[in-house]
Amino acid sequence: MAEGDRSPRQLMGIGIIGGLIGIYLANYLNVLTNSAWFSFFAALGAILGVFWGADAVRRVASYGLGTGVPSIGMLSIGSGQVAVLLGLAVAKFYGPEAAAPIIALILAGIVGIVNGVMARRVIRMNIAIMERSMTEIAMAASIIILGFSTAIAGGFTFDKIMSYVVASGFIIAVFIVGGLAMLHPFNACLGPDERQKRTLTLALSTGFLTMPVAGIASGAINGVPAAVPTLIIAIIGWIIYYLRFFDETKRDAAAMLSTGLIPEEEMV
Amino acid sequence: MMFDLLFLLYIVLGGIFIGAGVHFIPVGGAPAAMSQATGVGTGTTMLAAASGLTGLIGAGSAYAASGGNFAYTIVLGGVSAALMISILAFIANVMYVYGAGVPLSSAKVKYDPVSRWRQDLYVSRGTEGHGSPMVSFISGIIGAFIAGLGGALVYFALAATYQTIPGFTATFGSYPALWYVSLAAAFAIGIFFLNCVMASYNIGGTIEGFHDPKFKRIPKSIVASLVVSFVGGLFALLILPMLTGGF
Repeated sequence: MAEGDRSPRQLMGIGIIGGLIGIYLANYLNVLTNSAWFSFFAALGAILGVFWGADAVRRVASYGLGTGVPSIGMLSIGSGQVAVLLGLAVAKFYGPEAAAPIIALILAGIVGIVNGVMARRVIRMNIAIMERSMTEIAMAASIIILGFSTAIAGGFTFDKIMSYVVASGFIIAVFIVGGLAMLHPFNACLGPDERQKRTLTLALSTGFLTMPVAGIASGAINGVPAAVPTLIIAIIGWIIYYLRFFDETKRDAAAMLSTGLIPEEEMV
Repeated sequence: MMFDLLFLLYIVLGGIFIGAGVHFIPVGGAPAAMSQATGVGTGTTMLAAASGLTGLIGAGSAYAASGGNFAYTIVLGGVSAALMISILAFIANVMYVYGAGVPLSSAKVKYDPVSRWRQDLYVSRGTEGHGSPMVSFISGIIGAFIAGLGGALVYFALAATYQTIPGFTATFGSYPALWYVSLAAAFAIGIFFLNCVMASYNIGGTIEGFHDPKFKRIPKSIVASLVVSFVGGLFALLILPMLTGGF
């Protein structure tokens, strides 16, 4: 089910490699220049995570979950959040903190597999790709949470994220908008005429729409250098991808027919 | 510093309570939104977010006000969640009755087990019932109380654990936001969603309350919640040894 031009493996590559590159670039360019101008790279990485996660949601939810698409998005973003916070702490304790995003990704995969096995083997949901999809979505969720958190805090060390994103409460905003960005595209496009390109274009659009939240929050933490580039890129990106989504929608839409007004008198 | 195993037990128990509580709540889903099925017209995710987060706020403020009193925290968590679900179901019922113009009724039973009122005569043809009749309403309050109790148990275990980490009683800048409260809330929300979505997969999206035949599926949900909240709780509690210099 849910075929598309881009294979799951290709999207996984884009999500993991692109997401990690974005997060690392933001952290190390900020460290090198001792500023917060490059925080937006992490948000771009998170958008690639949204891109991947939206396709994974699309693949599993096209079987029909029975509970609506949002459920799997919120489940996975919950697993991603648990994994990211532990991953950062593990990296702080055991070794180079540079390994934090990779550890978080692996831990998210573990939580995702457990969820998938429970959903398929214990609850007996009849979806063959459940384990794989839950793992993928949880990993994508960890990239989304870490990406937006890094964009807000300006780096991904435990201390920075703990004090600037968790203690300040921005983590809840990241949690909810990150989850919505990932689950909304398929939720909005589902149906017999659903097409991968349209759904994924909407995913990029919702990803860029989420980025201003990180931008505004980063302004509260790191001031103008973090907020301005993030907000400008977010707004430009959102306009571009929203217009593209609109074009895709017009392309897929059937002809619109006017049925006229309700007749004044009943025809016999 | 190793974490307290009792707290892991609290989290697992809390997860089971959350999962079990969802089975009592009248989740109507999309059909109920068009008043074609019994229950509150939205999915489990939204109902759980509404009542679960209210429960968390209740538990959090009780924990802070009582200085970490166990009974006060978990009871207030349960009461807050139950209050939220009763407001939700009541307002939805007002809209079903006076807005959509449908009588509150269930198609699953002939007589309401609580109020003993006749149900089948009031179910419109082709629908599964409307709104939240007495039994669903009572069941929802019981369920939200159990789930809120569970969420508060999870929060209590995490807050009591993180409170012992050096420096975590600091506040965020000049705001009265304590570090351990934020971290405990972030993990508690994660674990809450894990359990309530697992339970909602178990009921297949919609349920009317404890009189619904789907309620008998509850053992499967307990197993799933046990495993999921064990993993989630272990991850959350492992933060303590990671930040305090090992096991």
